[in-house]
Amino acid sequence: MSEKNKTVQEKLSELSELVGWFQGAAFKLEEAVDRYQQAEKLAEEIEKDLSALKNDIKVVKRRFDKEAG
Amino acid sequence: MDDVLLSVSDFVALTNQTLEYAYPSVAVVGEVAEYRVSQGKWVSFKLKDAGAIVNCFAGIYQMRTPLEDGMKVVVVAQPRVNPKWGSFTLSVRSVKPVGEGSIKKGFELLKAKLEAEGLFSPERKRELPRVPARVAVITSTESAAYADFTRIVNERWGGLSLEVAHTQVQGDPAADQIIRAIHYFNGLEELPEVLVVIRGGGSAEDLATFNDELLARAVAESRVPTLVGVGHEVDHTLADMVADVRAATPTHAAETLVPDKREVIRHARLQVRSAGHLLSQSIDQHARQVREQLEAIFRRIEERLGDTFERLGVLRVAIAQVNPDNVLRRGYALLRGEVGVGNIIELETIDKQVTAEVRDVREK
Repeated sequence: MSEKNKTVQEKLSELSELVGWFQGAAFKLEEAVDRYQQAEKLAEEIEKDLSALKNDIKVVKRRFDKEAG
Repeated sequence: MDDVLLSVSDFVALTNQTLEYAYPSVAVVGEVAEYRVSQGKWVSFKLKDAGAIVNCFAGIYQMRTPLEDGMKVVVVAQPRVNPKWGSFTLSVRSVKPVGEGSIKKGFELLKAKLEAEGLFSPERKRELPRVPARVAVITSTESAAYADFTRIVNERWGGLSLEVAHTQVQGDPAADQIIRAIHYFNGLEELPEVLVVIRGGGSAEDLATFNDELLARAVAESRVPTLVGVGHEVDHTLADMVADVRAATPTHAAETLVPDKREVIRHARLQVRSAGHLLSQSIDQHARQVREQLEAIFRRIEERLGDTFERLGVLRVAIAQVNPDNVLRRGYALLRGEVGVGNIIELETIDKQVTAEVRDVREK
């Protein structure tokens, strides 16, 4: 992950929030270019993270053919 | 053995001992008749075919599917003589419908029972997290359904922690194994966010496990939100009806569980593009506003200039009207000097300067 302290989900929420700002009342042209660059960077990170992440699959060792002792 | 005198109790006990030794467990198929439930705890019915009939007795907890007279069932039981009543009885361990008609009937009866309890009600359904981090899966890890499920999950998303409980997914022990696995995951200190139960397609008898009453109740009672995908699109089981989310197939369960990262990436790009579009729109709008403001300023300056020129014109006309040359041009003359007989005066016409002597002065 590009930013270890943020999950993909957090980055997706942040991206939605950033893009939402462009449609909201708080929009200011002075800040817009910076925010746009942040959004671009986030989208790139999300793509990189999603392409790199693997799932961790573990089979439970416990058997279920009888009640646990 | 007629030389040994037995008490009735000893005889019945000996018979039961012999039966237990010879038939520790028998599976008998037949049709249900005179089905009764006593005190909400005990079930009795007769199992019959064209040539014979036998009494059956069970605790209500052993009934995993409701029965009705006329249903064809397989009873797994231990044969014994009831010492109190002297009747030959099958002491039932399990009973399950067989044959398409009876399986369907059992399904409908249990479905009606669970429905009456509100277990299918939409208000009970919990939403699954859009992107879970910890997922529990219950299935046979040897099945093609499991292979499909993991392949699709891996294709669609990353970073998941999947804990898989391997159980049988058909046959008599399957329901209890799945129930134990459900209890196992529900008992974990850190609960998974979703509990997935999957099984591939099969015959109605293969899928009967997922119509087991106790299994359906275990799914319904799970603290962890459940996603059940059993069989094919057309198969409906009670386990998937009570689940929070029903998936039509194991593949569909994988698609329901996680979003497709390719879609997410495409959506993220679209979001950035839409932000870029809004940004350029805003720049255009600002530029247009500045241009309009400049145009307004120019228009105002032009108006002011126009006003000024107009006022200047008026003044020029007024000035022209009082210019003495205009009077002289009409034939008048301008007189300078004191008018008195003998005095020299200066006269100015439009084109001449005259010096003259005053000879006579009269009042008009």
